[in-house]
Amino acid sequence: MDISDLLASVVAPPTPSHQRLSDLQSLTRSFVAERTCPELLPYPSALLDRVLEAIREQIETIEEHAGDADPRTNFRMIILQTELERVRFLVRGLVRGRIAKIDAHPLHILNLYTTSQPTLLSPSEHKYLTTHQALLSSHFSASFLSQFPAALQRLDDTTGGVSMVDKPDEDRAVFVRCLRDVGQVYVEGTGTRFEMRRGDVSVVRWSAIRAWVLGGDVELI
Amino acid sequence: MALPLPPGLTPAEVAFLCEMEQVTVMPRQTLEGLDLLGGSIPPLDPRRRAVLPLWLALLLKRQRRANIIPPPWLNPHSLKAVLDDETKNDERFSPPPRLPPVAPDTTTIFSPPFLPSSTADAAPDALPYHWLELGEMLLEAAEDDFEDPESVRRYLRDLREVRLSKVRRGTDQLVAAGSISLTGAGGMEIAEGRSFITGVIDGLRKISASREQQRRDREREEGEGGYPGTADDDEDDEMEMQ
Repeated sequence: MDISDLLASVVAPPTPSHQRLSDLQSLTRSFVAERTCPELLPYPSALLDRVLEAIREQIETIEEHAGDADPRTNFRMIILQTELERVRFLVRGLVRGRIAKIDAHPLHILNLYTTSQPTLLSPSEHKYLTTHQALLSSHFSASFLSQFPAALQRLDDTTGGVSMVDKPDEDRAVFVRCLRDVGQVYVEGTGTRFEMRRGDVSVVRWSAIRAWVLGGDVELI
Repeated sequence: MALPLPPGLTPAEVAFLCEMEQVTVMPRQTLEGLDLLGGSIPPLDPRRRAVLPLWLALLLKRQRRANIIPPPWLNPHSLKAVLDDETKNDERFSPPPRLPPVAPDTTTIFSPPFLPSSTADAAPDALPYHWLELGEMLLEAAEDDFEDPESVRRYLRDLREVRLSKVRRGTDQLVAAGSISLTGAGGMEIAEGRSFITGVIDGLRKISASREQQRRDREREEGEGGYPGTADDDEDDEMEMQ
């Protein structure tokens, strides 16, 4: 061991293992949040980049040892593979849950993405959304819309006080757990105020608690 | 490709999350340390206890490579104490385990299933978030590691019934109040009650939507400061509605 090794061991982050555990915690949290939240949450790009990179490396390790006949190594590889599948399940569940929401409210999400929330979609999700929507609208117009009067052909009409663009119900009740004391939560329109302390579990409207969830002080369960 | 499931977690998914809980095992053979995606696990040595994620502990247990040491809250005495507390206090769940403090600069705050609430050093007097799933899984896969599996099973069943009746009774509070507290409820219990509870709350909210809108407008007019004076009026309104 020479001086550069010593330096490297000092400079390196103290516990890469801890970073991985905290990534797994964040991934699990994102998975649960995306499954329980009524609206689409911002795409966790930094987290997913790290996780996907780690998955790729792990697959390489497993492939390297795949041909090993030694039963001991073999068992170790079974453990690695089992865990790999578990993490991939989480990633898959997260991404598929997001696609379900994109399919449900495409125009609303596209609108949010282009006007105010550039972190809402990943590049590939954005591509999927625009391509899918283009296909749909050309199909609609080819099969029936073109025979309607020009004023009735739009898919995002907002005239007459009713918007055609479907939105998720932002007041839907969600189950939350408080991670940091957040003080008083006020539910607009009902006059309900309540205190949320670390560890508390409540059922509350998504619109009332959204800011804290996005800030990481409260998690969805 | 898109997930066809309704919002909320299925029981299978809750059990999957529970399998990430940490448990203490007594290895029966050595195993070199491994770098897993969720952090590395230490080398296993038959002379020393080790803390592992539940899924790995169950894998080792099934292959008879380790014994699982049940967490201290999962023995008949502790369960009986919790059950007494549950029956005595009608209106709340028994309190969850005390949480470790959080430093203000922490970026990732750990929560179940990543808290060590089911290791051999866990608190004996409180049920953690995944108590029901974890108890069932351990009883199924590692029954021989319990001293008295039958009474553990019986207490778990009793606890489940007592707590289930609390969730049901809680529906009285499910007026459109905007929030109810379920502190201490377990993961499986929440998954079970989710569609009913959210269904009732959302339904009631839609019924009283117009009244709420009036109130919201009035609050906007008066500004935040004018709020407390109006509370009594609204209670009267509710009485009339009933």
